Amino acid sequence: MDALLNGLFALADPYLLMLLFAATLGGVLVGALPGLNATTGVALLLPFTITMEPIPAIAILTAIYCAATFAGAITAILINTPGTSASATTCLDGYPLAQRGEAGRALGMAAVSSTIGGIISVVCLMAAAPLLARAAYNFAPPEYFALTVFGLSMLATIGDGSPVKNIISGAFGILVATVGIDLLTSVERFTFGLNELSEGIPFVPVMIGVFGISELLVQADNLHVERKQVVMKSIRLPNMNDYRKVWKTILRSSGIGTFIGILPAEGATVASMIGYNEAKRWSKTPEEFGHGSLEGIAGSEAANNSATGGAMVPTLALGIPGSPTAAVILAGLMVHGLRPGPTMFTDQADFAYAIFWSMLLVNILFFFIGLWGAKIFARVTFVPIQILWPIVFIFSIVGAYALEQSMMDVWIAVGSGILGFYMRRYGFSVVPMAIGLILGGMLETRLGQSMVMLDEKWWLMLNRPLSLFFFVLTILALFGPPVWDRIIKYRFKRKVAGK
Amino acid sequence: MQPFVDVSKHTSNRTVFRYLIPLGIIAFCVLAYFLSTQFDRVPPILKRGMQPSDFPQLIIGLIIILSVWLIFRDNDKTPKRMTKVVHLTMGLLVGFLIIADIDLFLGLGLFATMLTILWGERRAWAIILVGLFVPFSVFFLFDSIFEVRFPRGLLTNIWYG
Repeated sequence: MDALLNGLFALADPYLLMLLFAATLGGVLVGALPGLNATTGVALLLPFTITMEPIPAIAILTAIYCAATFAGAITAILINTPGTSASATTCLDGYPLAQRGEAGRALGMAAVSSTIGGIISVVCLMAAAPLLARAAYNFAPPEYFALTVFGLSMLATIGDGSPVKNIISGAFGILVATVGIDLLTSVERFTFGLNELSEGIPFVPVMIGVFGISELLVQADNLHVERKQVVMKSIRLPNMNDYRKVWKTILRSSGIGTFIGILPAEGATVASMIGYNEAKRWSKTPEEFGHGSLEGIAGSEAANNSATGGAMVPTLALGIPGSPTAAVILAGLMVHGLRPGPTMFTDQADFAYAIFWSMLLVNILFFFIGLWGAKIFARVTFVPIQILWPIVFIFSIVGAYALEQSMMDVWIAVGSGILGFYMRRYGFSVVPMAIGLILGGMLETRLGQSMVMLDEKWWLMLNRPLSLFFFVLTILALFGPPVWDRIIKYRFKRKVAGK
Repeated sequence: MQPFVDVSKHTSNRTVFRYLIPLGIIAFCVLAYFLSTQFDRVPPILKRGMQPSDFPQLIIGLIIILSVWLIFRDNDKTPKRMTKVVHLTMGLLVGFLIIADIDLFLGLGLFATMLTILWGERRAWAIILVGLFVPFSVFFLFDSIFEVRFPRGLLTNIWYG
């Protein structure tokens, strides 16, 4: 209780409040700008937070996360281009409403649903994270190892690419994490005699490269894309009838989004798709979906914003990122010398609760900023990419350099950017690679500790109920979806043959 | 004639996509595995459960197995050809790295200018904004406020003396 109040008092600092306001504004801009999303925004901002105290630094990163996730809806509704992938389903109903001259109503519904979803998820975060941390407090290295393996196995389902390619990408990230001096034995690995590599490949330049610079190359391929804006007369909040129609959808999607967010590696995009589908399934007017249904917007937006709070649960309580953006925030926590995991709620409880309160505040802030500034932010979408992206590049490079003031980091950022572009081009998502890089060191350390603890008999991990449970979950996460797919296809074939 | 041209393009890309990429990954893994065999080994009392090469080799093994799987089971669509602009942008990135060695901000300014022109910008104010104004502002912002010391070079030496 003390920590809860101390966290709240930490927000009384005017400097922090000002930073949160600026970060929320920045987050909404990032979400509305073409090609930028929450993950890229957080990765680009991370180096600039290094000189700050941990609370303001992490608070502004989470502010960007929450606000950018919401702002994706602005472009989704006004120009039929989701600002972030999590808003893709918002286009389906938001744009048709905008074409009918009801852009304000659509944006109003998106803002209200996002805010309610965000607040519900932060309340769940406040309740669930300490409980989860308490449950994990007595985990020994084998349990942690099994849990990390489970977290990494969830990477298989990230994005719409092949699960095998996702795992290769994640494993490559883990391999990159082994570069440098081995912490257990002090032996140099893959350093090629370069002193700069002895501490390993730094997270931040890689994040900037794979999320920022690779996107620059993707944008180079999209120069011909034209964006047309729908005229928006005014923002009109949903009326009582609209609320009556959607309140159940908002609550349902908030629950779905929070749950999906808590699952390791599953983020707002998956949440919004499931939230939208469930909204349609439970709707009394499913035929309106895809033609301008307010329920569709509410289902998608409440789910994607509630996933942000959900994603922070495993990130803070277990040190396993709940989404790609949470992975970058996890890197930020590590860079600031914080140790995400169960001890965070005993050793750094004030910090954890300050972050929760700041997320709650940001969810309220972006409601007002988003509503009043929607017209302006919609114009931001039309900043020409030939002006925007060179500027993003300058900030990316200076950010990569500023952290350690090393030109090697600039090389790493550019190299990761080109590698990331080719990975994306050939269907290898860069998100698993980034998460693998962050979790790789932890995974190896826990495996080493488990081997010492179990007298080098790794199979004894299977004798421990919790480890076994996580390994079973891993197998289900990896093989469940393809097996289920085959069962469904088999049933379908039998049904067709029967007819 | 048109379908014939398309098919030949498709086939060559498909071969690259289906075989060369997994084979390239496997070749990279073989090299990494070889490098891992060169790591120092530690006496049993110091090894803390694993030799330094054990974990990387485990991961390399996993990547090789999955890459072999990809050769037989990859059904992803062939990506469309990269445009000339992408190739040139990548060339500019390489050029940036070379010039950044002479001076980081000279590299940034030239890269930003060239990129904005390459991507179709012709308005003088926009080119000056991204090629001159932004790099200078960023330099002074970081140097004065964040106290970041940039590497000495042709232009930064003028400021640092």
